Amino acid sequence: MASTACFMIVSKNDIPIYEAEVGSVPKKEDAAHQHQFILHAALDIVQDMAWTTSAMFLKAIDRFNDLVVSVYVTAGHTRLMLLHDSRNDDGIKSFFQEVHELYIKTLLNPLYLPGSRITSSHFDTKVRALARKYL
Amino acid sequence: MADPANTKLGRMLLDEITPVVMVLRTPLVEESCRKNGFSLIEMLAPFSNFNNIDVPVRTASDQPYRLRKFRLRLFYGSEVRQPNIEAAKERLKEVITFSGDKDISDLCSDPPDIESLIAISKQEMVPSWFQNFNKELIDVVAFSEHEAFDHPVACLVAVSSKDKDPIDKFVDLFNTNQLPPLLNDGAMDPKILKYFLLVHDNQDGMLEKASGILTEMRSAFGANDCRLLCINSSTDGAEEHQENLWASYKASISNSKQYGCFLNADDIEELRSTMHDFSSKHIIPHMELKIRVLNQQISATRRGFRNQIRNLWWRKGKDDAPENANGPMYTFSSIESQIRVLGDYAFMLRDYELALSNYRLISTDYKLDKAWKHYAGVQEMMGLAYFMLDQSRKDAEYCMENAFSTYLKIGPSGGRNATRCGIWWAEMLKARDQFKDAAGVYFRIPGEEPLHSAVMLEQASYCFLLSTPTMLRKYGFHLVLSGDLYRKCDQTKHAIRTYRGALSVFKGTTWRHIRDHVHFHIGKWYAFLGMFDEAIKHVLEVLPCGHQTKATQELFLREFFRIIQETGKTYEVLRLQLPVINFPLIKVVFEDHRTYASTAASSVRESLWQSLEEDMIPSLSVMKTNWLESQQKVLPKKYKESNVCVAGEAIKVDISFRNPLQIPISISNVSLICKHSAEFDETESDANGFLIDHQNDKELRAVSNSGEFSLDTSLFTLSEIDISMRGGETILVQLTVTPKIEGSLKVVGVRWKLSGSVVGICNFNSDIIKKKVTKGKKKPKQPVKDNLQFLVIKSLPRLEGIIDNFPKTVYAGDLRRLTLELRNPSKIVVKNLKMKISHPRYLIIADQEVMNSEFPTCLRKQESSSESCTQVDAARAASSLFVFPETTAISSETPLKWPLWFRAAAAGSISLYITIYYEMEDESSVITYRTLRMHYNLEVLPSLEVSFWTSPCSSKLQEFLVRMDVINRTSSESFQIQQLSCVGDQWELVLLQPVESVSPLEVLISGQALSCFFKLKNRRIRQSTEENTSSLATSGRADVKLVDGDSRGLYDTSISPFILFHHHERVHQERQEQGHGGTVDFILISESWSGSDAGLSRTTEVFSHHTCHCRVASKSPIWWSMNGPRSVRHDFSAAFCEINLSMTVYNSSEDVVSVRIVTLDYTPATNSATSAASVSGNEVGWHDTSQLSEIKVTSDVIGSRGGKAPSTDSVSPFIWSGTSSTRFNLEPFSSAQVPLQICVFSPGTLDLSNYILYWNLVSSSDGGHDVDGPKVSSGTCQGHSYHVAVLQKE
Repeated sequence: MASTACFMIVSKNDIPIYEAEVGSVPKKEDAAHQHQFILHAALDIVQDMAWTTSAMFLKAIDRFNDLVVSVYVTAGHTRLMLLHDSRNDDGIKSFFQEVHELYIKTLLNPLYLPGSRITSSHFDTKVRALARKYL
Repeated sequence: MADPANTKLGRMLLDEITPVVMVLRTPLVEESCRKNGFSLIEMLAPFSNFNNIDVPVRTASDQPYRLRKFRLRLFYGSEVRQPNIEAAKERLKEVITFSGDKDISDLCSDPPDIESLIAISKQEMVPSWFQNFNKELIDVVAFSEHEAFDHPVACLVAVSSKDKDPIDKFVDLFNTNQLPPLLNDGAMDPKILKYFLLVHDNQDGMLEKASGILTEMRSAFGANDCRLLCINSSTDGAEEHQENLWASYKASISNSKQYGCFLNADDIEELRSTMHDFSSKHIIPHMELKIRVLNQQISATRRGFRNQIRNLWWRKGKDDAPENANGPMYTFSSIESQIRVLGDYAFMLRDYELALSNYRLISTDYKLDKAWKHYAGVQEMMGLAYFMLDQSRKDAEYCMENAFSTYLKIGPSGGRNATRCGIWWAEMLKARDQFKDAAGVYFRIPGEEPLHSAVMLEQASYCFLLSTPTMLRKYGFHLVLSGDLYRKCDQTKHAIRTYRGALSVFKGTTWRHIRDHVHFHIGKWYAFLGMFDEAIKHVLEVLPCGHQTKATQELFLREFFRIIQETGKTYEVLRLQLPVINFPLIKVVFEDHRTYASTAASSVRESLWQSLEEDMIPSLSVMKTNWLESQQKVLPKKYKESNVCVAGEAIKVDISFRNPLQIPISISNVSLICKHSAEFDETESDANGFLIDHQNDKELRAVSNSGEFSLDTSLFTLSEIDISMRGGETILVQLTVTPKIEGSLKVVGVRWKLSGSVVGICNFNSDIIKKKVTKGKKKPKQPVKDNLQFLVIKSLPRLEGIIDNFPKTVYAGDLRRLTLELRNPSKIVVKNLKMKISHPRYLIIADQEVMNSEFPTCLRKQESSSESCTQVDAARAASSLFVFPETTAISSETPLKWPLWFRAAAAGSISLYITIYYEMEDESSVITYRTLRMHYNLEVLPSLEVSFWTSPCSSKLQEFLVRMDVINRTSSESFQIQQLSCVGDQWELVLLQPVESVSPLEVLISGQALSCFFKLKNRRIRQSTEENTSSLATSGRADVKLVDGDSRGLYDTSISPFILFHHHERVHQERQEQGHGGTVDFILISESWSGSDAGLSRTTEVFSHHTCHCRVASKSPIWWSMNGPRSVRHDFSAAFCEINLSMTVYNSSEDVVSVRIVTLDYTPATNSATSAASVSGNEVGWHDTSQLSEIKVTSDVIGSRGGKAPSTDSVSPFIWSGTSSTRFNLEPFSSAQVPLQICVFSPGTLDLSNYILYWNLVSSSDGGHDVDGPKVSSGTCQGHSYHVAVLQKE
């Protein structure tokens, strides 16, 4: 498991709809905004990269100091972004694929409005479990 | 692509990588120059820059080319050394601080829109001081020994003509002790070109002496290398210069007059020619020569295959030499240094090809030698040469990257070189529009000082902005990073500037942590600079941060209060987000013609009240025309639709506040903001002006503590509430405003004070959010915002009503007397009082006399009870609208008290609505009537459950057996059953058991059940109809007392309230399907029983339970009874016995009934088929056709009917004589006698039940019979058993 990792789902309107600090390092007070800044800035790169490949998993596309941003872009242009500090491409890919599946399940919920914040605690629990498993 | 020389980097290189001239001078030279306000170098500087020198240059190749632009860099001998790091840092800091102070002015303005930012050209966007800063940063690493372009090419030796022994001075100046270390430690060739300048101050005269010295010099140093320079020719010192030559060379020059004041045009011309001569005739030829010499030498030793092999061999041998990274490994005489010098000279003379080939040559050497610093320096120059040649971008980049990483690799000593290399590299990328890569380079530039990193990051951010596609998010992020570093270095102004730039990106972002971070920090820094308005504006943005942790929330809040405290003022903040106002929950309650007795009443739906008041208030159209007629002049048209309220009566506004934080906050002085204006016409504009004032210019403003609201207190009063909210709490606050004067009142918003320091204002109308105004308007199309606009009319009487001791929780059946108390606080008399109650089953209006009598006793039967109240006043009971007597007038002193009867009719929760209508005496007012609405909720618990079971008594006509089951359903209460009454005149009730046996315990404790039996008689049948009136006198028989030894009288169920409640109960319990004949209604009256100390503690509570429509009759509309002798003695020996009987048939239905009596000489089988047939005559298809032949078959059935019939086997002991079938018609409610006769053949007890009555309804003459279709219209009845004992006469 990565010592620092921040997972975030960004809707196609660039609005974060889900965020979770999944690292094993105890959360620092100022880390939250720094992670948001890095991921937010990485969107610029995603914007360029997403159209150059047909793969959903874009691998590590951006880095800030020792933190790496890996991104997975769904067909609906929802971006699953992971900020991490350890290189484990296979694990990250599996993680993204499983979370994508979870996200699709959430979308299938007729009460969930696509593009709105995901507040389901079940989703949260699952994502954290997957993070423990793969990262 | 543009010519590389014209790019920014190109110009920079042409400026920076130019020949250096070391200047040595005597103090007297300096003194002469000081007269003009500057040093010798400064004086010469403008003339050492040639825009069009036009000198032919021939370097290694034979092809000469012309040099256009040329520049010399002049340095004093003492300056030609590595600059002091600390001093350089100071200088850099100064540059930053200076530029930071410059643009403080626009820090207050709003950050520019990001689109417009992109639109403006690059030059405007990027701060200009970056260039200065970069230059300073590059200069830090000047005069390093591993690079030759900073090594002096020539030496300018200046001696004043006033100096003693000028020739000696010239020699002394070039004394080795004073020479820079570069020359001394062998890094460069000490034998450099020297140029001797004799400076003559014309003010001192003695030009001849100077000329003399010059000749002396020429003979000593050579004719060409000496020159006389005359300055200060102007005597008056007021020489004006058209354009300031020096301005661009010395930043601090502010007043052009002082500089060069003694230099006239001739002097300037001489200066110019001197420098031109120096560069074109000495420096350039010298460099050309040196290039050619070195080139030849290098070609001989290094070029060619053989030389390279040899070189490699030789290098290999050197590998073992100890590593000495930066030491003077290569002296000026070494071949490596010479190649480097050759390259640099070629570079300076723009022969980039030559430079590149030499750099390439030497870089491999350095690499093999592991002289990394030299290697990096050469790589750097290679990159620049590639760039200037504008070929092979990839190579250029590769070289720069190589140089950059090599510098980084060698540790801290290479840091500054890396910075310079990075700047050049980034510039190079920028020149080729590779902004994204440039940003990456800037980001990588190592910051030995956080301040430098900050500037680099800021430059990086601008690169992101300029890149295509624009990378705004990166731009914002890097600005924030840079801002943080600026702040760390106390460059707050720069920090704010960068954050403001970032704000234009992050404005309105949904990334909440980012938004909070940016706003909070910029706010904090503004406060640090003392710009509190801006500070508060930004900190306000982060206050409602429910998503942050508790600690962060506390930090934000603390910081906010600290800023507020520092200002020392009370701030009024529009749109303070703490607490948050939930808009859809705002509710406005006001009273126009509708007034409310309690808040509960006001929250009831308007439609409910309207339906209740429907027939009480004047109809809407009528009211409106009246209203218009009388008021047209006073009221402008628009106020027809505005709300009306009355002066002196409060308007209540419910606002729900929500605390978004997890920490508690305290709010005080919550009150409404209102605008009152006396005139009708001016109101609109006035109010609007007030609003605009709020919306436009003042997001927040400081107010004096007195406030402008003191003025308004004469017009209206506001309520103030203090609340404290826990984390995440939502509180509903009711605020009131009471207008005092007629006019127009507008509720503008709400204000509150947060923690006693900040005043928050929320403007209702500016926030266009749908407000639910429950008591708003009758017209839905009216715009929402006008709901807060009120027309205040002069004060009107307002009745206050209350019902004393209205119970909250009662047991079902509880019967009470309540008192309605109405007060009129005003002097004006009201009239025409009317009252309506929503649930007359629960609450009815009593007569006023009841007020004076004692409660439970007045219900009991009294001798004097008048007959007037026995009859139900149907109209009164049905309408439930009560008109108070005309005489009722309510004045302020004496409240009107009116009794009400209350009865808890059924278990459950119930809301009772009471509305009272009254009119004003004063006709001139807008409102001519008002209604008082009262609302009570109560809960009724189940108490006794009463059920009745009636069965007709077969032996007697119109007598019934009644079984009453009572179960006490309460948990603790005990009841004493008092009395059972039948309602109506025609019933008579008799208890079948002795009274004592009914309830031996006298009380029914909780959970207990009780059954008792009664006989019920229908009196009306027995007595003929004309006797009806007299029957009233004996009405007492309808009640049965069920308690023994109670001396008190029975309750009179024929008076109100019993009779009234009973009426409503009847209506309520009405059944859909009514059988024929009578139903009976029972009223069970019980009293609460409270153990041994009864009567001591509380008054008796009376409970009444009404059970209505208990069916007494069977399904058939007819009743009959057989009359005749019960026993007959007859001598059978003589003849058979004839017995005459008569049957009385009564029609209890409302229709004419045709009855057919069929006597049978056999006993009809009572099998299921027949009984089914007897139930209904409607059957279709197969049914039993009772045939005579069946007698035998059914004989065993006869036996089964009991031993009553004598067991004469086959023959019936009697037969019916006379007609076997009789048919007749019966009028409604009439009876008929039918004579019957039997012939008895043998003695015995006979059962005369073998007859059948067929009946069918003869439809009434009118056509209304279709209405009740499903009603049974015909049927069959089995005969009752009637036993006659026939005995043998002795």
